[in-house]
Parts: sequence; structure tokens; C-alpha cells
Amino acid sequence: MTGERPLTLVLLEMTLLVLLGPLVTGTIQKLKALLQCRQGAGLLQPYHDIIKLLRKGTVQADTTSGFFRSIPVLVLAATVAAGALVPVVRSGPPAFPLGDALMLLGLLALARFLTAVGAFDAGGAFGGMGASREMTIAPLVEPVLMMVVFSTAVAAGTTELGALAAHRGASWILAWRAADFLGFAAMLVLLPAETGRIPVDNPDTHLELTMLHEGMLLEHSGPGLGCMMLASHTRQIVAFGLVSALFFPVGLADGAGVTGLLLGAGAFVAKILVLATWLALVESSYAKLRFFRVPQYLGIGFVCALMALALRIL
Amino acid sequence: MAACYGAGALSSLLAWWSGRLALGVGHLAALAGAVVGLGVSLGVLLGDPGRTLTQPLPVVFPFARLSLSVDGLSAYFLLVISLVAVAASIYGPAYLRAHSPDAGPARQAAQVVALNVFLGCMAFVCCAGDALSFLLCWEGMTLASYVLVVSDDRDGENARAGLLYMVMAHGGTALLLVAFLALTERAGAFDFTALRVAAGGLDSATRTTLFFLALGGFATKAGVVPLHVWLPRAHPAAPSHVSALMSGVMLKVAIYGILRFAFDLLAPAVEPLPSSWGWTVLVVGTTSAVLGVLYALQQHDLKRLLAFHSVENIGIILIGVGLAMILWRREIAGGALATVALTAALLHTVNHAAFKGLLFLAAGSVLCRTHVRNMEELGGLARRMPWTAGLFLLGAIAISALPPLNGFVSEWLTFQALLGGASHFRGPAGLSIVFSAAMLALTGGLAAACFAKAFGVTFLGRPRTPHAEHATEAPPSMIAGMVWLGAVCVALGVAPGYAMRLLDAPTAELLHGPGASAVVTARGPLVLSAALTPSGTNATAISMTVVAALLIALTAMAWVLRRGLRRAPQRGAPTWTCGMSPTARFDYTATAFAKPLRLIFATLYHLRREVIRETAGTPYVVRRIHYTGEVMDLAETQIYHRVERGISGLSQAIRARSTGRIHGYIAFVLGALFVALLLFGVGPR
Repeated sequence: MTGERPLTLVLLEMTLLVLLGPLVTGTIQKLKALLQCRQGAGLLQPYHDIIKLLRKGTVQADTTSGFFRSIPVLVLAATVAAGALVPVVRSGPPAFPLGDALMLLGLLALARFLTAVGAFDAGGAFGGMGASREMTIAPLVEPVLMMVVFSTAVAAGTTELGALAAHRGASWILAWRAADFLGFAAMLVLLPAETGRIPVDNPDTHLELTMLHEGMLLEHSGPGLGCMMLASHTRQIVAFGLVSALFFPVGLADGAGVTGLLLGAGAFVAKILVLATWLALVESSYAKLRFFRVPQYLGIGFVCALMALALRIL
Repeated sequence: MAACYGAGALSSLLAWWSGRLALGVGHLAALAGAVVGLGVSLGVLLGDPGRTLTQPLPVVFPFARLSLSVDGLSAYFLLVISLVAVAASIYGPAYLRAHSPDAGPARQAAQVVALNVFLGCMAFVCCAGDALSFLLCWEGMTLASYVLVVSDDRDGENARAGLLYMVMAHGGTALLLVAFLALTERAGAFDFTALRVAAGGLDSATRTTLFFLALGGFATKAGVVPLHVWLPRAHPAAPSHVSALMSGVMLKVAIYGILRFAFDLLAPAVEPLPSSWGWTVLVVGTTSAVLGVLYALQQHDLKRLLAFHSVENIGIILIGVGLAMILWRREIAGGALATVALTAALLHTVNHAAFKGLLFLAAGSVLCRTHVRNMEELGGLARRMPWTAGLFLLGAIAISALPPLNGFVSEWLTFQALLGGASHFRGPAGLSIVFSAAMLALTGGLAAACFAKAFGVTFLGRPRTPHAEHATEAPPSMIAGMVWLGAVCVALGVAPGYAMRLLDAPTAELLHGPGASAVVTARGPLVLSAALTPSGTNATAISMTVVAALLIALTAMAWVLRRGLRRAPQRGAPTWTCGMSPTARFDYTATAFAKPLRLIFATLYHLRREVIRETAGTPYVVRRIHYTGEVMDLAETQIYHRVERGISGLSQAIRARSTGRIHGYIAFVLGALFVALLLFGVGPR
């Protein structure tokens, strides 16, 4: 086992994830635009959006209760806390235990639960519709994600992501077995669902027939909406971090040297770029699925994850 | 303690003088009893390890010595009972006064007597030191809760619910009676020590038969699928603080029974438990968890939804129990894994008692202020009942197994135990254990969906009816009861390590191995850890406390961000509803919310849907649409309706033979006697 990550490093990594989150969204949008022969907005557009929102005033539905104002805050906090559990530049467990992959999924689920609760508060049909759809997809995604985590955890004997990455670290792609390929395939299927993208959700539209996540944000405005947007950018990069910790722990530094950390950061950026390209490709080449077809789509992921587990355990 | 509950029961005599006084004194006595119970259980749990408190009871029957004996397991369940009983007895008087102000003194007296008898019997079932007092208290518990179920409102539905409850409960008791009598007959005595010795000489087939008899009896009480049909009817019918006790605690008494039988009375001397026991419990638990939450999702009656969630949570507890049975004494990870599984089950027992009690009490506040249980008629209560709403949200987050509250802790331990079991067993057994873990994940996700619905539809948005519009906050004593349970939820979620000490005695006693705190909090009370592999090098460790602190710090930072970069104007405006003036009918309903999941899991629901349109001449002008939708319980349609048809078919067949002539009947009786003599009449030679 490699060394432990000091707590300052953990907090630095968390901050890095939050700061890089909007850039990843910007990259995906840019890649999509290029694939569709458009110029597209700049890479930094999401940052501009968030800053603009944070400077704006708030219009709040007059039927809302006291919970509504605190929802964006709690959602952002839960998502960022999930970010603290992902190893970014170095492998190994944190010096003082924080949480494992199950805690990470739990915190993301907490953020989703609170978003759905907030969607009810304004009393419009759109919010409820978005919440209903989101909370329908989530219970189907979560078990499959857990199965993917289990399939690697059974081999490593732990569900702590840093320790998991350290366990796989040294012998990376040469040691991939069939179970890893299947688990990774399941992860690629689940990634659009977890990050709210085509073919499960469409982040670019507010049309009520297509939206899941956006429907829940309709009544938020100003800084509140800014927090929610930042939370969804962070959620996306946390999901990427989860995938790379489970399957590509390459480049994560073992020691504490500055070069090692820089190398780890570079590797992380490369991994994020690969996953972002994947999402951009999928978004550009597929249409959004009809809502009741989504369970079948997720079924592919389920079968892959089950096979991965079976290969690992049998 | 007996004195307190007895005094509570007697105080109802005051009712002839003043009903209000009887309520107050009766609940005060119950509170005192609960506090004494807390003291006794904490004394045993934190005292010397292995100490058992034994107290012989006065001789009532000439043929049996009755006694009470409180060991670690008993004390732990006594603690669970007392925790919820404290809240219920603080909450009770105000609730009963507010909910049914026109109740006569006789009814109030009956409720107070029954409540005290109910609490006393539950406590004594767990402390019973012999089979006879166990069964007597068990029966007392059933009868008292029956009285409470039918006492609330005088309508036909409550009476039917009560009847179903009585029939099912006595079916279960009959199975228990057989199991106990088979043991006492061998032992020649009633006390548990003698039963243990007698069980030592059983062959494995008899042992397994007796276990399954007992499991059947306890599972009926625990509301395990498919024996759960009485539960969602009976629990909502009782007054809300009694619902909290029935759901939060009475079901746990059945869990106590299962643990007592499996690990103590019937356990073989040295070898592991027969594998059929643990696997059955695991499968039954998984099924209950998934089906319980799926049916809960489609309920619109707030208390009924909560009752179905009890089925789910009993399933989660049984997953832990079953896993502990499978792993016990199989030399897995030095015996530590069985301890993790049992710790998870016991911790979920107290967690479920806390959050389910809280949720039922909050639902009770809604009920007593609006007199409506259907959440489609509620809405907008968060502005009118902020305390109740906040506490309900707390309970909802806890029951959905979301961090940083207590539900997550016990489910995390269950997951770790399942994963450890899977990586040990390998092969098909390992795969089925992991599958059970995936089902547990599904359960958690569905529970979150269900409580987003329950909280959102009941408390948020606009009030849908005048009942909800004119609601006011519940009285302070009711809020105090809820705050007590809410504090337990937070404490067990944020600092679960300190509670592990309480679990030491029961786990060490049952498994004869290391205690819970030695295994789970090996790295100090702030860290929970569980080792998946035998060597235990790669133990997974989490710290709920640090994560909670991180969440609080991040919330403070996000709050600064939320206030904006400059002071910008804030204003209110009506919700956007595509240009129409918004009314409560724009709010998404519970039925609509659950529709996608209803369609996805349609095979499990037996949907019935009927739409009647009234048109004005042409089909394009619709005057009125009448919609009825219904979800049938799979167990009811597939098992109970068939059994019912079978029984009525059989009775029809018998009726054809009943001619009304007395000679024929005598012939039947003689024939039956002859056959019975042939079969059983051979005495010992």
C-alpha cells in the first residue's frame, strides 16, 4: 500500500474539482459544437454564466416555503463534499478516514433528493414532472453503479476509492481482465445518465417533454440558480473522477514529490478529456431516448455490470 | 417498571372522575416506565460484560416458575422500546386530546389502559426468562395493540383491519406455541436455561423444523412478505403515537424472537447454524425490502405509506440477520464478518425505531391538524407547520439511507458485510449475496423517491383543500416528542461510534466472539471500519463525524455564495404556469409522481385503471372525466385470494355433506375418533 493522502491535499483536490467543473462542461459544449460544424461558445462560457447569475437579483415564487432558499446551498455542499472523496492527483486512502465509494454515491443521492424536494416547492407542474422523472431514473442507475463499484471492490478488498486506486495503480492496463472491460462498458453506459446527458436527459433544453434535471431548476433564479449550476458541473466532474479512480488509476502519484503531483494532475486532465470526448461523441450521434425506453437502455448497463460481477466472483 | 405501567393502567380508573386527568396521569406513568426501562437497559449494557439480571417472579401457576432475566440482547431491545416509548408518552396526551376531542372518558380510559399494558408487555417479552411468561406477554402485547387499533375511530374499516390483525397474529402465535411446547415437553420445565439444555439434544431435522415454526410465527408479527398483509391496514388505524410504537418497536420484538431462537435457544453447541436457516432469512429479507418499498411508493395515505416502509426496513434488518446466520462460526475473517452483519442488523433496529417513530409522529401532527390522511388533499403545510415539516424532512433523509444521518450508517455496515460475505464465498452463493446488495441499493433509491414524493406533496407547494389551508402548528408537547426522536437520529448518524459500545454485549453474547466496538470501531470512536478480506489489511474506513463537519463547513461557504456577489434586489412573483393563473391544481400529485415507476414495475402491481368520460354530444367536448386507479398487492392476489377461494370451495363441499341429521354427524365424529386413535393412540411402551 502506498502512503496516505494528507488532509490538506484532500481539500486541495476538492477545490480543484470544483474549479475545473465548469471548464469540463465548456469543453464538452465546444467539442459538440465542433462535431456539429458550429463555432460554439468559448471554453470559459460556463464560468461567465455562473458569475453573471451570482451578480443577479432573485425572483422567487410566492408560494414557496422557507426550505426553498436553502435548497441550492445544501445541494452544492453535498455535491462538493462528494468531491472530497475522489482521489485526483494521488492514490492512497486519506490520512484521516472520510468516506468511501458508497458515501460518495450517498452524498450525490442526497443532493438529488434535495433538488427533487425543492422542485415541488414552487407548485408548478414542471418542477414536479422533472422531480418525478429524475427520481424514477435514479433508483435504476444507483444499483448498477454500486454493482460496478462492487466488481472492483471485491478484487481490491475495500470500497475506499483512494485505496482502490492504490491497489490497482502499479499494473494498470496490462492487468485488465474481462471483468474490468465489462465493468467499464457498464460505466460508459451509465455515465450519460449520471451526468444528465443525451440519451437519458438533455441539458440544453427547457422543453418539458425532454427535460429531467433542468425541469427541477426552472424556479430557481439568480445566485440560487448559480449554485445549482455549479453543483451540476461539480457532479459531472465527480462522476468522471469516480470512473477514473475505478478504472484508470494510472498516473496517480505514489509519493509526495512535486513532480509526481504535477504528473498526477496532468494525467487526471487527460483522463477527463477522454471521458468528455466520449460524452460529446455520444451526445452528437444519438437522439434522446423516449422516457420509457431509458430503463431498457440502463438494462444494458445492468447486464454488463452483472456479468462483470459474475466473472469476478465465480 | 411494572409498578409504573401498572399504575398507568390503574390510573385510568380516574377516568370516571375526569378523562383529561386519566390521559395525563396514564401517559406520565408510561413515561416513568420508559425511563426506568432506559435505566435498566443502560445499566446492563454498560455494566460488566456477561452480567445477567435475573429476578424470579411470584408464583402464579403451580406448574411453572416464572422469572425475568435481562441479558445483553434483552437489554438492547429494552433500550429500543424505551427510546420510542419516551417520545410516544410525551406526544400522546396532546395528540389524543387534539385528534378526538369528543371522545368519552370510557374510550380515553380504554386507550390509556391498553397503551400501558402494550408497553409493559413489549418490555417484558424481551425480558422474559421462561417460555410461559414470554408467551403470556406476547399475547398481552397482541391483545392490547388490537384494542388500540380499533379504538381510534368507529368505522368499519378499522374493525376489519383489527380483525385481520387478530387472525394473522394468532396464526403466528399458534406456530410459536407449537415450537415452544415441543421444547418445554423435552425440557420438562419452562425456563430458557432448561430449554437450551433440551435443545442441545435435538437432531438436526427437528431443530430445523422448530426453527422454521418459530420463524413463521415471528415473521407474521414482523410483517415479512408475504405475511405482511395485516400490517399496512392495522398500523395506520391506531392513534399515531401507537402507530409509531407498533411500527417502530413491536416489529422489533419479533426480530428479538428470531435472534433469541436462532443464536441462543436452538443454536447447536459448536457447529455453525444449518445453512438453510440463514439463506431463508436472507432471501425473505431481500424480498420484503424490495416489495415493501415498491408498494409504499404507490400509497397516497401518509400513514399507510409509512407502514409499508416498515415492511421494507424489517427486510433490511433481516438481510443483516440472515447474513450473520450464514457467516457465524464459519471462520470467516476471524469471525469478525458475522459480527459486522449482526451489528448492522441491530443498529438498523434502533435506527428504524427512531426515524420511523419520528415519521409516524410527524404524520400524526398532520393528521390531528387537518384530519386528512390522503396526501393528495394536503400540500403547503411547510409554511403552516414548520417544525413538523422540518422534522419530517429529517426523518425522510434518515429513512432514505442518505448521509449524514443514521439510516446510512446501518446500511453502509450491511453493504460492507454483504460484500465481505460475497468475496469470501465466491461461486453462486457469493453472486446471490452481491445480488442482494444490489437489491438493497435499489431499495435505498426507491425509498428516496418515495419520500421525495411524500414530503413534497404533503408539505410543499400550495394547499389543495381547506383542511390543509387552515392547518396550524402542533402543540409544543407533541413537537417535544418528535424532537427527542430527531435528536436520536442525528446523534446516531453523526457519532455512531459512541453507540457501538451499547452493541458490545448483545453481539458478544450471541456470537461468542468479539464485540461490535472491537470490530467496527477498532480505530477509535470517530471512525467506522470493516474489513472485507480475512487478513483485514485493506479495511474500509469512513468517518461520519468528519463528513458531517465537512458538510456543515461547505454549507456555510455555499451560503456566502448564495447571498450573491453584490446586494441585488429580491422579489416574489407567481409561479410560471404558461400564462394561466396558478392554482393548486397545477401542483404535481402523488399519483402522477409515482406513475413512471408504476409503469416500469407494472408486473408487480396488478394495475387496475378505469376512466369514465362524460362528453357533451361530440367526443371532443369533455364535460367531466372520472378516473380510478388501484394497485393490488401481489401477495394478496396471488396467495390470499387463492387461499380464500380454496377455503370457501372446501366449505361448499362440506356443506353438501351436512344433511342436518344428527346420526350422520355422530358417525363422522366416531369415524374421526377411530382414525385419530389409530394414528396417535400408541402410547409409550
